[in-house]
Amino acid sequence: MDALWLIPTFPLLGFLVLFLSQGKLPKVVIAIVGAGSIGFAAVVAVVVGKAFMDGGAEPHSQQLWTWMRVGEFVPEIRLYLDGLALVMTGVITGVGFLIHVYATGYMWDDPEEPEGFSRFFAYMNLFVFAMLMLVLGDNLLVLFLGWEGVGLCSYLLIGFYHRDPNNGYAARKAFVVTRVGDTFMALGLFLLFRELGTTEIQASLAAANIAWPEGSTMATVIGLLFLGGAMGKSAQVPLQTWLPDAMAGPTPVSALIHAATMVTAGVYLIARMHDIYLISPEAQFWVAVTGLVTLFISSFTALVQTDIKRVLAFSTMSQIGYMFMALGVGAWSAAVFHLMTHAFFKALLFLASGSVILALHHEQDMFKMGGLWRKLPIPFVSMLVGSIALAALPLTSGFFSKDAIMLTAADNPAAGMVFWGGAAIAAFMTALYTTRMILLTFFGEAKTAAHDSSGWNMNAPLIILCGLALGGGWFGLGIVSGVLPDGGITTHDHFSPIALVTMAMPLLGILTGWFVFGSARGGSTQLPGTEFAENVRRFWYSGWGFDWLYDRAVVAPFVALARMNKNDFVDLAFKSTASIARGMHHVLAVVQNGRLRWYAWNMVLGLAFVVVVVMWEVLD
Amino acid sequence: MNILALIMGLLAAGVVAAFSERIHQHAPRWVSLIAFVVALIYTSSAWLGAGSGTEEYARQVLPWIPRFGIQVYLVLDGLSLMLVALTAFVGIVAVVSSWSEISERHGFFQFNILWVMAGVVGVFSAFDLFLFFFFWEVMLIPMYFLIAIWGHENRAYAATKFFLFTQISGLLMLFAILSLVYFNYQATGVITFDYFELRNASLDPDVAWWLMLGFFVAFITKLPSVPVHTWLPDAHTQAPTAGSVILAGILLKTGGYGVIRFAVGLFPEASQDFATVGMLLGALSIVYGGYMAYSQSDFKRLVAYSSVAHMGFILLGVYAFNEIAMQGAVVTMIAHGFSTAALFMMAGALQQRLHSREMSKMGGLWVRAPRMGAMTLFFVVASVGMPGLGNFVGEFLALLGAFQAHVPLTIAATIGIVVAAVYGLSLMQRAFQGVPNPDVGEIEDFGAREMTVMILMMIGLVWLGVYPQLVLDLSAPVITSLGVAGL
Repeated sequence: MDALWLIPTFPLLGFLVLFLSQGKLPKVVIAIVGAGSIGFAAVVAVVVGKAFMDGGAEPHSQQLWTWMRVGEFVPEIRLYLDGLALVMTGVITGVGFLIHVYATGYMWDDPEEPEGFSRFFAYMNLFVFAMLMLVLGDNLLVLFLGWEGVGLCSYLLIGFYHRDPNNGYAARKAFVVTRVGDTFMALGLFLLFRELGTTEIQASLAAANIAWPEGSTMATVIGLLFLGGAMGKSAQVPLQTWLPDAMAGPTPVSALIHAATMVTAGVYLIARMHDIYLISPEAQFWVAVTGLVTLFISSFTALVQTDIKRVLAFSTMSQIGYMFMALGVGAWSAAVFHLMTHAFFKALLFLASGSVILALHHEQDMFKMGGLWRKLPIPFVSMLVGSIALAALPLTSGFFSKDAIMLTAADNPAAGMVFWGGAAIAAFMTALYTTRMILLTFFGEAKTAAHDSSGWNMNAPLIILCGLALGGGWFGLGIVSGVLPDGGITTHDHFSPIALVTMAMPLLGILTGWFVFGSARGGSTQLPGTEFAENVRRFWYSGWGFDWLYDRAVVAPFVALARMNKNDFVDLAFKSTASIARGMHHVLAVVQNGRLRWYAWNMVLGLAFVVVVVMWEVLD
Repeated sequence: MNILALIMGLLAAGVVAAFSERIHQHAPRWVSLIAFVVALIYTSSAWLGAGSGTEEYARQVLPWIPRFGIQVYLVLDGLSLMLVALTAFVGIVAVVSSWSEISERHGFFQFNILWVMAGVVGVFSAFDLFLFFFFWEVMLIPMYFLIAIWGHENRAYAATKFFLFTQISGLLMLFAILSLVYFNYQATGVITFDYFELRNASLDPDVAWWLMLGFFVAFITKLPSVPVHTWLPDAHTQAPTAGSVILAGILLKTGGYGVIRFAVGLFPEASQDFATVGMLLGALSIVYGGYMAYSQSDFKRLVAYSSVAHMGFILLGVYAFNEIAMQGAVVTMIAHGFSTAALFMMAGALQQRLHSREMSKMGGLWVRAPRMGAMTLFFVVASVGMPGLGNFVGEFLALLGAFQAHVPLTIAATIGIVVAAVYGLSLMQRAFQGVPNPDVGEIEDFGAREMTVMILMMIGLVWLGVYPQLVLDLSAPVITSLGVAGL
């Protein structure tokens, strides 16, 4: 257990080595350092995790040092390991290691950024370090360190291909939009500290339970502020618009940061702070609503995308929506469980799509793919396995977690049927868009020649992830028992009518998909072609118009005002003082012209004026 | 430690530097560099030599004009000490950053740098109000020359503007100082400019309020805060690199220091009545400064406006009137000294290579000069407020403390961190990313000399970011003595 600190230290060391060597190491060494550091972290995580389990799953904390000491504000750099942190650490180091290994192949001969191999792994290692601090920190300030750190690495990696200004734009958009969420989170932190006098997670939750009665407004406000932070990081409506653009990063980045780990940080935050939401059912309800809206909207958006990575991006948003809804309806363990299974199958999907993209020389448009299943057997099987887990076919990992979420949602006293209904429709849509993606990519006629050049380092992670995506469900809900309030159990009858409908939805979706897209294999870009349908398609395609709205309501006025006021209107006040002084100077300079006659006239006029005034006074 | 010797040493080094040009054209910069290194070692040794719990590191009292109770009264407490150390460090950065930039009058150039810094050391250590004002003026004149002689295309305008703003606001302060001494004389029958005596002066609250305002205006002009910030972008843009580094790195801090030591220290009650205005100006500077930074297309102007935003955190923190926020203000001063000095050094290096500060003429520079790109990235990230680096600690503490004092203003200020992300990343994009500008040929990347200084500043920021306790411990007794309550 005392080795806990080593888990984040290895990735940090990896980063430092790669950063300080300024890319001068041989490529093989870079690959070994880059992936090896995460591998070591994963090994330590396994050892620590085993000790943790052997010790009866008792929470363990490890004090490193006192960050700062100002009056009563004494944030400690302390790591805290419990079931929740262990699951997260396992996902981050385990899936993270597989993705790093994959990336050694994917990035090896990168045509766009041949010099960037070292930079890439430096950023990736820094990301893993920050993500581990996020989940292991026992203080909200340490969590915030990780929170901002992963945001930075996300920015750096989205903009990795920095020669294209569009990528830079996508990267900045991701950073700024999530920072809007971070602002909420920071305010929540300030408020929490003011009310409870500490930012330590365990201590503040204990204090909150004593200080606030159920339904307390303070808990609601803090809960909603943290929800705001979670929305930004986890790409939930209305702060979701950055995620599809984030696909500009290399595909392993999308797999690690924008599918498996960083975007689930919001889920982790709410699960970690669940006591607040237990005190305030109102805040918890809004978590569920956020999730529902997101999972619904994005599942429709995913259906009409043409870029394979954007399909997966919207799918990720939608699946995180499920997690939020789960948190909101009290299926705490199921949310974390789905986080884990999603990490398996979505990482698999992204990596498999990466192999496809690489084989097609960076072609991402599904309508230019097709017929690839013969040529790319391993990516094909991987994609297929990932897809059935995503669609939640029975006995895959996604099935166990999603099933638990939807059944608990149905029981919700406030709006159970709405939650369940929305989620069921989205489950149908999930199966539908997944089927479409598989059919377009791997079946029908081939439109682009494929060159499979992936070696073992790209294929092995795919195969391992296939195993996890299929069998990951057997970890069970019990992994987070003792941490989250529902104790890791669901008590649902798997053969009630609602459960059967829940189970049938994906199958129905696949059949519909086969029927609609199968007949038009490699076919049309749109649903049946009326004008109305085309407008709907366009609306969905745009992500329900959020970007359009934000561009006009926020970005355009911001930029326009900045242009207008480039010269700082405040300076006008000072400049006008100067020009008034100069004007007076000119006036007086004209008067002083050195002509005797002019002076005499003025003297006479002045005297006459004085005389008139005096006379007036006297006569009055 | 002998403070007077330090100040005199810097002044003398200035004279030596001026004459050393006759020996060799490049002798002055070496004189300057050695003087600052010695000053840094000397100051640090006073710090390291003192035991923990020390509240005063040096004190010197010599009579000057006894008839008016004016003394050479120099004290180094924790706050002064760290700022004096920062002064010496920024001096090194300034000299290195203009190592090969200056092409004429090398001796007089280094003379001015050394004299500004001597004035700054005096400002940070003077506890006699007359002496303080004396040093306040000493640092002004050489700075004026630095801008007016070695500045860029519009230097006369910028130098005059800088001079007028500082001089007029300084006049207000002089008036406030003399009135304070006069009122104290009326009450006690003693003429004195002694800081500690005047702190105990019993003043009519209305009078105290007006006197406080005199100091306040002088200091926020120097800081600068909205709405008296408009001299800064011009001065920064037109100054030679060393001038900008000194301005941003240390000269602005005399404003923050003055607010803490004099506006709040001499008039605690009046300042507390004024707290909301102070915080309001702070929040305004954070948001408006950040927004103006985004509006700029000139690299240096952008960084200059970002300074306005960062200095807003100082006002916000000081006027929140609690220990956490005030410590935030102090840490911000130090962290900003590193991060902005580095960015101005970068701006100077770019101008020297591209002969332009316009970001539209940059773009894609990462490919040409990866080391400069990585360094800029680091300091932009620091100034955006990334946890683990110094600026975050300062700004977070300032906001955390401010939240306890005034919620709406803190919310407004917190929005500033989003704006910081917008302008910081847009700087990075416009200068270093995107398609390499075809008009820009090969440019020389940073060499060992520049990298050494850059890495020193990086270490400083990381150290402040992960373990700021040494700085916090230095300023804690000072803040306690101001009577600022803990939380």
